[in-house]
Amino acid sequence: MADLLSTQLLFAALVTGALYGLTALGLNLVYGTMRLLNIAHGEFVMLGAFAAFWAFTLADIPPLVALPFIVLLTAAAGLAIYRGLFRGLLRNPRLAERIESNSLLLFFGLSIVLQNVAAALFTATPRALPYLDSIIRIGDLGMATDRLATLIIAASVALAIVLFLRFNLLGLAIKALIQNREATQIVGIDVEKIQRTSFALGFGLAGLAGGLVSMLGQITPFMGFPYTITAFVVIILGGLGNLGGGLIAGLLLGILETYGVALTSTNYRSILIYGVFILILVIRPQGLLGGRRIAR
Amino acid sequence: MTGPRASSLAIYFAAAAAMALLPFLAGTYYLGVGLALLSWIALAQSWVLLSGMTGYISLGHAMFYGLGGYLTVLTWQQWPLWISLPAAGFAAAVAALLLGWPVLRVRGPYFVILTYGLAELMKFVVIDIEAKLGKFGRLLMGAPSLETLYWIMLALALVATLATYLVRRSRFGAGLRAIRENEEAAETLGVPVVRFKLFAFAASAFIPGIVGGTMALRTAYFEPFQAFNPVVSFTIVVMAMIGGSDDAPGPILGALLLVVLQELLWVNAPELYLIILGLALIGFVLFVPDGLHGRLSRKRHGSDGRSRERPREHPA
Amino acid sequence: MKRLLAGLVAITGFALAIGAQAAEPVRIGFSLAQTGLFAAAAPSQLNAYELWRDQVNAAGGLDVAGELRMIEFVMYDDRSDPSEAVRIYEKLITEDQVDLLLAPWGTPHHFAVAGVVEKHGFPMVGNSAASVQLRDINPGNIWFPTSAIPDLMAVELVAMMQSQGVTSVALIANQLPFSLEIKQFLVPALEAAGIAILVNDEYPPDVQDMTAMLSGIRTAAPDAIVALSYPSDSVLYMNQAREVGVNAPFHFVLVGPTIDFFAGMFGPSLDGVVTIGHWSPYKTEWARARPFFDAYVEKYGTTPDYLDSALAYMSCEILQQAVAVAGLDHDRLREVIALDTFDTINGPVKFEGVSNATTPTSFLQFQGGEAHLVWPESVATAPYQPKEAWPQ
Repeated sequence: MADLLSTQLLFAALVTGALYGLTALGLNLVYGTMRLLNIAHGEFVMLGAFAAFWAFTLADIPPLVALPFIVLLTAAAGLAIYRGLFRGLLRNPRLAERIESNSLLLFFGLSIVLQNVAAALFTATPRALPYLDSIIRIGDLGMATDRLATLIIAASVALAIVLFLRFNLLGLAIKALIQNREATQIVGIDVEKIQRTSFALGFGLAGLAGGLVSMLGQITPFMGFPYTITAFVVIILGGLGNLGGGLIAGLLLGILETYGVALTSTNYRSILIYGVFILILVIRPQGLLGGRRIAR
Repeated sequence: MTGPRASSLAIYFAAAAAMALLPFLAGTYYLGVGLALLSWIALAQSWVLLSGMTGYISLGHAMFYGLGGYLTVLTWQQWPLWISLPAAGFAAAVAALLLGWPVLRVRGPYFVILTYGLAELMKFVVIDIEAKLGKFGRLLMGAPSLETLYWIMLALALVATLATYLVRRSRFGAGLRAIRENEEAAETLGVPVVRFKLFAFAASAFIPGIVGGTMALRTAYFEPFQAFNPVVSFTIVVMAMIGGSDDAPGPILGALLLVVLQELLWVNAPELYLIILGLALIGFVLFVPDGLHGRLSRKRHGSDGRSRERPREHPA
Repeated sequence: MKRLLAGLVAITGFALAIGAQAAEPVRIGFSLAQTGLFAAAAPSQLNAYELWRDQVNAAGGLDVAGELRMIEFVMYDDRSDPSEAVRIYEKLITEDQVDLLLAPWGTPHHFAVAGVVEKHGFPMVGNSAASVQLRDINPGNIWFPTSAIPDLMAVELVAMMQSQGVTSVALIANQLPFSLEIKQFLVPALEAAGIAILVNDEYPPDVQDMTAMLSGIRTAAPDAIVALSYPSDSVLYMNQAREVGVNAPFHFVLVGPTIDFFAGMFGPSLDGVVTIGHWSPYKTEWARARPFFDAYVEKYGTTPDYLDSALAYMSCEILQQAVAVAGLDHDRLREVIALDTFDTINGPVKFEGVSNATTPTSFLQFQGGEAHLVWPESVATAPYQPKEAWPQ
């Protein structure tokens, strides 16, 4: 079995964990502020990946340069969906009281639409984006440049978001909304504006993940679902709405994926990950850092 | 709500009779459609028994379906069907009892994703077992005819519908719904919450186990990735939510609508049918939030519960 | 005025009648996984089918025992679900009453549909299926032109490795049926040949990181690495093997390299990688091979999948040649497909039972971005070249 202390394994754990954490971050924002279970999250990752692909193939724009635009694109898409679908949902009291199950179905329908529109437009043939694929070697450690870039960008963005939520006024308002909806309204904060911002931010982050992922693997219209599932597992594990918890959970899964596998065997990779997930939830039903009060 | 109305019972009987006549009237293809419809009804009814009644939304019901399928495949040509299929159901129910004990402590959206994780875990365990056994997909030779499977599935759908119907009107069902409204309050009122949840979980696993076994025989091919496919779990949830997850007619309506929609779209707009399906789902949530059955029964009773049916002379 | 109208109607009716009699289209039905788990794989097959149809129609139509008729496809999406495929083929046969059938994508779908075509006695030429269990299927209604059958593959792979002086191997396998089936035959064959298996790992299909596994392989330093992987994990393997620095003169990657995006993604890193395949456009003895390749590239702007697209096209060619002789009658078709030798882009193909008896089990290697047959030497288009270290 591999040397557990190798820097190679550490690098792999960090990259995988960072990607898991980033993928989950946007989902956590949307759930935390609005209790919406976005099952279409992975589809926005897919859209971000395709955007990067087309930018590169048609206009020779490298993914890293295209990233900010991709984020804006998916954020705008998120806003459009908010205005079009959810504002109505949240205002109607009968719909709002079953917001979680309703949003599940609604986003599910949306994900089906997005996947199949993408398949109709782009065909299901897999695509690839060869970019930044040189290897940086430092002693015994080999780092693919695109993986390194992913790690740096994902970690920076995560840090930026955490700081934003802690020190920026708007960020603090978002945090307040996550913690206590009624109190935030009473204090006079414009809840509508916060919701819009969270939506845009959440979907923008999904697009960001997509742009990064476009360099790493194949791009197909149906690639989104695994990202959705991973994101959900991470945010549930970390505690719904707790962004820090989500990042920690992401890192934990990254560690399981690398060190856990190194200790046991690759055979058991999925059994290990789902097994640990279930075990932790059963012991702590609100997730690692989730609040005592379980949102209904 | 008043007692069972003669008209709604008549509808049930008519539907059951229609399905019973199908093998004599329809060709192979439509018999296959009927089989699929019945299997979804059976699955969705069982799901409603747990998730509709208690509000614990399970997104992992494929695990019972797959487990039942696996057991049937393992005992194929060793045990006769009339033993192996019920055994599959019992095994699924026992699994639910064992798993339910720790798992039902988790609530809300945590439970949703937990059940998904559980189904995936089971899938990967079966994949690993099959790999160690040196099995790479199992072909089932000499599977029963489509007609035989159809009768089995009809029975399953009837039993599942009856179960939901009876539970809904029983003390047990009332307890489950109390759990759905407010679990802590139900507990203080004396509802044996843990026992009821466990029982609902096990009961909701039984039929899906048998359905899984029957469908494995239908394809005559078993492979863990297909058998434990999350799409099964999702489809069940969608059908129950569209049709209404509160009472027996709901899953029937939901399954019927989706199957009919699929058949219609397939023929006329094959590339678009999934897109239209997705749009239909979105539309449903926005315009029919309580599901079809909820909307229909509200129309009949009005939102205050009193009958709104007008006398014949006035148009509705 | 009325007389003019009546005249026009009569002429139109007459023209239509003549048109109707002249060439009713031949309806060919099939299902493909347009959505779901296998959606990424199906386009390679659909493209080949559509290329064939367009070529035949452009030449005037399909020769049905002397009469030329245009081809019309009746296609459904089976959503990667074999039980859906069963229903679709039943529909195609009984409701849509198509004249001919083409195969769906994938081994489980072929198994599922085999029962349907047998029940209705409707002959169909299969393509994208590979398993020893195929031989258990009753012959007469389905045939498999592929030679990439797991037990034969194991034998040939070991023979090839031995010819390269391989003494040790690292074996990793995806826990999906095809890879596991090959592994089941490969391990005993390796042991019988005295090749040491230094690493023997399996992994689930949704693996995201192989660093631990690959570091172990690097430490073991085998002569050969055999990755029984599917496209997503093949991509992961190629990326991470390069990153970790796992080098060996013999690299085998099961599914992935033949898909067109792979060459685009990996460029020179793909050179030297061996994969399954029994068709290459560079085999000049097969007169149809290169034209197919060029036509595909021209129509779609990408290279065909060297395995799946070739097989799909072959099944169309076989059907075409059989129909030219036997027309649409099922019994006659069955006879012709079972007994005749067909001229395909993969050379001559003749069936024995359900299997292809003429095409040897072969392997491709990428050299300079081109897919060459390198084993067995009797069919090779280029000599095998040991893989160089990964380009950095």
